[in-house]
Amino acid sequence: MIGYLLRRLGYALPIMLGVSFLCFMLVYLAPGDPLVSILPADASAELQKQMMQLYGFDRPLIEQFVRWLWRALQGDLGHSIATSRPVVDEVFKAVGNTLMIAVLATLIGFTLGALFGFVAGYFRNSWGDRLASFVSVIGVSLPNYWLGMVLVIVFSAQLMWLPATGAGPGGSGSWTWDWEHVQYLILPALTMSFIPMGIVARTVRALVADILSQEFVVGLRARGLGEWGVFKHVVKNCAPTALAVMGLQLGYLLGGSILIETVFSWPGTGFLLNQAIFQRDLPLLQGTILVLALFFVALNLLVDVLQTIFDPRIERG
Amino acid sequence: MTAATFTDTRGRTPVVRSRGHGANVLRRLLRNPVAMIAATIILLLVLMAIFAPWLMPADPYATSMLKRLKPIGTEGLPLGSDELGRDLLSRLMLGGRLSLFMGIAPVVMAFIIGGGIGILAGYAGGWLNTAIMRCIDVLYAFPSVLLAIALSGALGAGITNALVSLTVVFIPQIARIAESVTTQVRRSDYVDAARASGASSLLIIRKHVLGNVIGPIFVYATSLISVSMILASGLSFLGLGVKPPQPEWGLMLNTLRTAIYTQPWVAALPGLMIFITSVSFNMLADGLRSAMEVKQ
Amino acid sequence: MSMKLPKQTPATALSRFALALSLAIGCTTAAEAAEKVLRIGMTAGDIPRTLGQPDQGYEGNRFTGITLYDSLTQWDLSSGDKASVLIPGLAESWSVDPADQTKWIFKLRPDVTFHDGSPFNADAVVWNVDKVLNKDAPQYDPSQIGVTASRMPTLRSARKVDELTVELTTSEPDSFLPYNLTNLFMASPSHWQAKADALPASVADPAARSQQAWAAFAADSSGTGPFKQARFVPRERLEIVANTDYWDAKRRPQIDRVVLLPLPEASARTAALMSGQVDWIEAPAPDSIDAIKARGYKLYSNLQPHLWPWQFSLLPESPFHDKQVRQAANLCVNREELKALLSGQMEPATGVVEPGDPWRGNPSFQVRYDVAAGQKLMQAAGYSASKPAKVKVQTSASGSGQMQPLPMNEYIQQNLRDCYFDVEFDVLEWNTLYSSWRLGAKDPAAHGADATNVSAAVMDPFFAMIRFVSSKALPPVSNNWGYYIDEKTDALVEKARTTFDEQARNEALGELHANIVDEAPFLFVAHDVGPRALSAKIGNVVQPRSWFIDIATMTLD
Repeated sequence: MIGYLLRRLGYALPIMLGVSFLCFMLVYLAPGDPLVSILPADASAELQKQMMQLYGFDRPLIEQFVRWLWRALQGDLGHSIATSRPVVDEVFKAVGNTLMIAVLATLIGFTLGALFGFVAGYFRNSWGDRLASFVSVIGVSLPNYWLGMVLVIVFSAQLMWLPATGAGPGGSGSWTWDWEHVQYLILPALTMSFIPMGIVARTVRALVADILSQEFVVGLRARGLGEWGVFKHVVKNCAPTALAVMGLQLGYLLGGSILIETVFSWPGTGFLLNQAIFQRDLPLLQGTILVLALFFVALNLLVDVLQTIFDPRIERG
Repeated sequence: MTAATFTDTRGRTPVVRSRGHGANVLRRLLRNPVAMIAATIILLLVLMAIFAPWLMPADPYATSMLKRLKPIGTEGLPLGSDELGRDLLSRLMLGGRLSLFMGIAPVVMAFIIGGGIGILAGYAGGWLNTAIMRCIDVLYAFPSVLLAIALSGALGAGITNALVSLTVVFIPQIARIAESVTTQVRRSDYVDAARASGASSLLIIRKHVLGNVIGPIFVYATSLISVSMILASGLSFLGLGVKPPQPEWGLMLNTLRTAIYTQPWVAALPGLMIFITSVSFNMLADGLRSAMEVKQ
Repeated sequence: MSMKLPKQTPATALSRFALALSLAIGCTTAAEAAEKVLRIGMTAGDIPRTLGQPDQGYEGNRFTGITLYDSLTQWDLSSGDKASVLIPGLAESWSVDPADQTKWIFKLRPDVTFHDGSPFNADAVVWNVDKVLNKDAPQYDPSQIGVTASRMPTLRSARKVDELTVELTTSEPDSFLPYNLTNLFMASPSHWQAKADALPASVADPAARSQQAWAAFAADSSGTGPFKQARFVPRERLEIVANTDYWDAKRRPQIDRVVLLPLPEASARTAALMSGQVDWIEAPAPDSIDAIKARGYKLYSNLQPHLWPWQFSLLPESPFHDKQVRQAANLCVNREELKALLSGQMEPATGVVEPGDPWRGNPSFQVRYDVAAGQKLMQAAGYSASKPAKVKVQTSASGSGQMQPLPMNEYIQQNLRDCYFDVEFDVLEWNTLYSSWRLGAKDPAAHGADATNVSAAVMDPFFAMIRFVSSKALPPVSNNWGYYIDEKTDALVEKARTTFDEQARNEALGELHANIVDEAPFLFVAHDVGPRALSAKIGNVVQPRSWFIDIATMTLD
């Protein structure tokens, strides 16, 4: 077991290095001026050259990468070009905000998804199965940013029940867990929960159907085990995989929240990423992508390890 | 958006196919009503897109200030008009071309490139496998939405760039499946037998590996089409995808959204098209999966 | 006899809790009722910088420039009926040295203090000039020079004469300097110094010290403006409160607190307004205006110093090389119908500035909609329906000040078809288009285009005219993208630049403008009108002919 963990860790490290290299290089794919956010188009060529030197963009790329990585290892991702604020502070604050909606969305999605999946898997090929399957397909077939816009128009602009935008009446700086604040979470989290709901439902349906069709379940039933016993057995057997899927979904939501956060002006990582892309704020863009990707690698690792611990039957190569 | 990413590729066991398998699959598929309805819808959508220039009732680019944002059912504008007074029905028909293209093309490209890489790695094994798969793993380490947006954001807006970004997103997913299936086929007895009987590598790949590998990755790729379409529409929504005045459903959804207060139903139509197409591809993929008995 | 307290039951606990809760709610609502709070949804994607030199274009100056800070000179925002003119700000008066026209004397306003209590004086002016122009100054900040230096192209240095007098030096005689100075906001030197002194000694590099001191200053700023920074949540909101000691008694704010929220998405902005989350949004989407009005919000707009043009290439291979073709294009655009397309949210452009402006002059060519006249000019230039002029125009799908570029361009494309133009578009990403603007029509980035559609702020004479038409402004120096070279124009530019009497300068600028309209290096299309939707409870709103608006004089019921 320990050997496996070490091997798994040793395998994650080069990936992390590769990920950081890719994050760094990604933003250099683009043509154009890295200082566009603070340098107006009518600035002279001389001023532009001078600023490139001041910000170190005239150095060779490899030198810039090594410098960046070395500082990143010490927890310094540089300063945003547009605001001069440290990238690390911005990114971690945003990660916290995204975690709030992502965790809530995962919980909603998992609860509903598991419910639909169970119904569908248990009563396979019934109308309940069809309905549940269809609901789960909706989850993955609806452009979620669009769903978000529709929800805003219905529940905010027309009914005026829920706020349309932002993270609390005073911004995320003064968040507390009361209704005044929590109402701001509802629409973004609900919108975000559709995809995990669909995916969890499909997974659970397949798992339940699979377990129910296995011979030993048939045997258990034959030996007179009640429906409740069978149900418990099914839950026990599909929980590890379903939970693993949920964990991975959380990772996807963390990195894939950009559209929803843009629609709701939710100050999370996606919102930050969108601003970084459109201001061409390279240090911010690199830092945000890096942190998100590393989070995802770490989460994958964690899910793997937990799965191995709880379900040692799974053989790892 | 990550509909397909839940598939756990690690525990996959290939079913060794016999000849006549294809016919069986087709028969099972034909007996699945949901899959057949989905396939019919897709066929109709594809035909509509291909023949759009001849089927369109009006010029999808002709603007008219007088006919802006007319409701559904206006005379001469069966599905209303957009913010420039262009006939929405014609734009939806022609828009299907680019939307379907953005759904299918990246997946096809990733299918070829990713499948090729995966089969190569799986068949070669050893250090080559390790080298290839570690590179693939780096790409796989990014959540797909993040990678697509980061790449498009870096490359800039445009169809080609969006196509490249989406292809890069899907390559690692397909390559991993291809690699894992190929590895297991390669280790199986009958490939050993073939090798022992002196068959060349190419022949073995063609006869045994491809036959067993194409099926699972094909099913997987089908389910990626709807992911690709929705991702592409999301890129257009952020201004990183297709550029106006080209009709494309994601972009139309984007430009019509300010009209959502005046003509909500017209503004919702492109979203409905994306939804219908995406549901159909998902249903078809499900049908294919059960017909091919590929386990999730 | 002592009264026995009843044993606390869950029910009483609950009712006590409810009482406490209602008290708490009562208190907060009472406090809110007492404080007048105005919430504004901006179009910027991020809160403009608060350290004195805002980013996010002129919207930045509008919300975190003129609110928190003052400049030596400022724009008069008190009238909606006439062009906004330059008035004294922190300088009471100024004059150029008659002997050496590169030296200016600025007399400063006495008894002005920064929000931190330190005095505003000549040292503060020198310090603020140095923050962007003197590389050796500890407060020198590269991140601020981009927006500032390009808006004050000739200013070189400042020198203290006495406590309330400074001498500013320019690189060449430049009568436009007072306009440029509206872009240099006065930040408090002593407040910055306090931030710098508070930094740990481990930050040794002077550049890093300056950067971190400015970041700290931005989080807790100090200027002389009518509002003071109160609360700053990066990327989400900025709260500013009334400066009750403001030096101009007429502009002491009536509103206690202003909350600024970045809402770059037009539909999100509209939803925020309609759901009552904000009281004011900038630039509502044209198609949502009716719905917004129906809810009782007021719409304000006015002509802005902004131009939405096609800037023609005058290179020999461009059809626009021929003046007849340039004028013909100007005669063939139906600007009134275009205005209808934008739900009335534009003004037709018949020049860089419109009649009534002191710089308008008397052009002999009248920009109007007259297809017959346009066709005649085109025929004279050798074009016809069977032999159209093929032109390629660069534009973007979106961008600051671009209004609705694609619908507008498509409409113009149709208009021009009537006058034998065959227009093709090269749609670029906004930043790409904007960066290639300075590279000029000869650069490969122009993709051989015959015109570029970059809209521009045309507030001061340099930005309004000179950068487009002076032969000294050819690429890559400035924005004479189309290589417009004309001796007469150059002479008029020189005359305006070196005329220091205001009346005479306006006349010179009028001559220059008339010449520009006659030569038509632009397709004059539209001016933005800066639409904004405000709640009816906001009173005393004056929307001036400016990029800016004065929140300090507004009231709130």
